Amino acid sequence: MQKNIFLHFSRELVDQPIMSTLIRKYDVEVNILQATITPNEEGTMFVQLRGNEEKLEHALGYLVANGVDVMVKPRRIHFHEDLCTSCGACVAHCLPGALYVEEDTRKVLYDEDLCIACELCIPACPFRAVEMAKTSVGGEV
Amino acid sequence: MAKTYEEINEKIKNKQAVVVTAEEMISIVREKGVKKAAVEVDIVTTGTFGPMCSSGAVLNTGHSTPKIKISQAWLNGVLAYCGIAAVDLYIGATEVARDDPLNKAFPGRFKYGGGHVIEELIRGKDIVLEAEGYGTDCYPRKEIKTLINIKDLNNAFILNPRNCYQNYNVAVNRRKKRNIYTYMGILRPDMANAGYCSAGQLSPLLNDPYYRTIGIGTRIFLAGGVGYVCWYGTQHAPNTPRDENGIPRGGAGTIAVTGDMKQMNADFIRGVSMTGYGVSLAMGIGIPIPILDEEMAKFTSVSDAEIFAPVTDYSHDYPNFTGNPLDWVSYEELRSGKITLEGREIETFSLSSYYKARQIAQTLKAWIKEGDFLLGKPLETLPGEGSEIKCGKLKYRPV
Ligand code: SF4
Ligand code: SF4
Repeated sequence: MQKNIFLHFSRELVDQPIMSTLIRKYDVEVNILQATITPNEEGTMFVQLRGNEEKLEHALGYLVANGVDVMVKPRRIHFHEDLCTSCGACVAHCLPGALYVEEDTRKVLYDEDLCIACELCIPACPFRAVEMAKTSVGGEV
Repeated sequence: MAKTYEEINEKIKNKQAVVVTAEEMISIVREKGVKKAAVEVDIVTTGTFGPMCSSGAVLNTGHSTPKIKISQAWLNGVLAYCGIAAVDLYIGATEVARDDPLNKAFPGRFKYGGGHVIEELIRGKDIVLEAEGYGTDCYPRKEIKTLINIKDLNNAFILNPRNCYQNYNVAVNRRKKRNIYTYMGILRPDMANAGYCSAGQLSPLLNDPYYRTIGIGTRIFLAGGVGYVCWYGTQHAPNTPRDENGIPRGGAGTIAVTGDMKQMNADFIRGVSMTGYGVSLAMGIGIPIPILDEEMAKFTSVSDAEIFAPVTDYSHDYPNFTGNPLDWVSYEELRSGKITLEGREIETFSLSSYYKARQIAQTLKAWIKEGDFLLGKPLETLPGEGSEIKCGKLKYRPV
C-alpha cells in the first residue's frame, strides 16, 4: 500500500529525529519527494509512504502523536484530455513520468498510477489542461 | 521537368494531385531519389502549432443606437485597441486581463488575456464588451455594456504581424539557484532542462528555406479555416546565417497572416498562460508547398536531423541581447527528450505540439486531395537572402 502525504513541522520539531525514528521503528518505506524549510524555520515535506496497511496506520499515528501536521494529499490531478494540446511543456517537470510523450503518435498521455500529485505540471502547462483534483482521494488519515 | 502552379491546380480540381506531408516526403525522397520524387509528388503539406505572441484579431461590432465612437474598450475585461474607426477593435494576444495580479505574487499565473478572448469567440461563447466614448455630434453615445457573439459581428478576422518563425532558440537557464519563468516555459536552474518550440521537419518555412513558393497571397490552413499570407512578418530576417542545405541557424524568416475567424476551430487556436511571463495565443498553421522542380523536392525532404537550433541562455544572454549561443542541437536530438550540452545530459521539453502539427499537415493534405483547396500563387515572394531587410537593435536615442 502507498500513501502520499504532506507533512508540516513546527519550529520546535524541525530538528527532531522524527523521520529517522519513523523509518527505524515503524518499518515503512519513506520516499521524500520534496522538503523545504520556510523562512520562519518551519518545515514542510512531501513524502510517499509504503508498507502494509497496519504499519502505515501506526506510522501516521506516530507522526500525529508527535505534533506533526499530517495532510493526505489528493492522490491525483485532473488531466483534461480535451484541453491538452500535446505540446509537452509539462513533461520535463513531471519527475515520475506520469505525463509522457507516446513515441509513435507524439501524443502526451497521463498515467494516473505514476502520478504523485506534486503539482509541478500545473504551472508548467500553458493550456490549463491539468489542475488539482477538487476532492482528495482517500482523504482521511 | 518543372511544373507550374496552374498545372498543379488543374490536377487538384480533377482530384488527381499527389499530396504528401513533409514527414512522408522524407522517406519518399530517401527511397526514390529527388528526381523521381519531383515528378511524382505535386504538393507537400506542412504544419505547426505553438504559441505565437505577435497575433490578434480585428473585430467590427456594428453600431448601437445611438452610435458611439469607441475610445476605450474591454472584452471580458481585456483591453482592446480602439485607435481605429468608431466600432473597429483590435484585440491583441498578449494583453492581460485588467484585474490580473501580474507578477506581484511571483510567479504570476496569468489566467486570462487576449488569446483567451480570441479562443472563446471562436468557441461561440458570449463575450462582455464594455466601451467608452467621449461623445461627438455624430457619435453621441458615451458608454455601452453588452454581450457580443462572433456570429453577430460584422467582421472578425485574425491579423497576425508575426507567425511561423522559420527556426527558433532552445532556451536554458544557467543561473545556479532559481527557476526562471520565460515565454519559453519554466526553466530550471543550472541547465536542468531545455525548452524548444518548432515543428522542425514539419514546419512551413523550414521546408521552403529560401521562400521560393511562400509569399504574399499564399493560401494556407489558418486555425482550421482558410487564410492567407498577407506580408512578410515583423522581424523577418532572411540574412541569418544558413547551413549548406539553406536551413537558417536561428530565427530568420517570418510571415504575417490573415483569415476569417468565423471559419476557425478552437482545436487549432488556443489561449496560452505562461507562468511568470504572461498570456499569448497558440496558432495552428499549415502551408502547402508546390513541388515545382527538383530543388523544391529536395528542400521539402529536410529531416529533423538536418535542422539545428541555437541553445541560448535565457537568464543572461537572451535578455541582454548578447547573441552568443552556447551550442547548436538538432531537432532529432531535441525530440528524443535529451540533449547533450557541455558533456551533460539535459532533459528537453517542447512548447510546440508536434502531434497537432501532424494533424494540421494531414488535414491540409485531405482538403487538397478532395479538390477543395487550390494553391495561391504568390503575387510577391518574401524578401530573400541578400535583400536589405534586417532585424536589428533599437537605435537608442534617449531624450
Ligand atoms: S502532479 Fe503532475 S508533475 Fe506531479 S507527478 Fe502528477 S502528473 Fe507528474
Ligand atoms: S503542458 Fe498541458 S497541454 Fe501541454 S502536453 Fe502537458 S498537459 Fe498537455
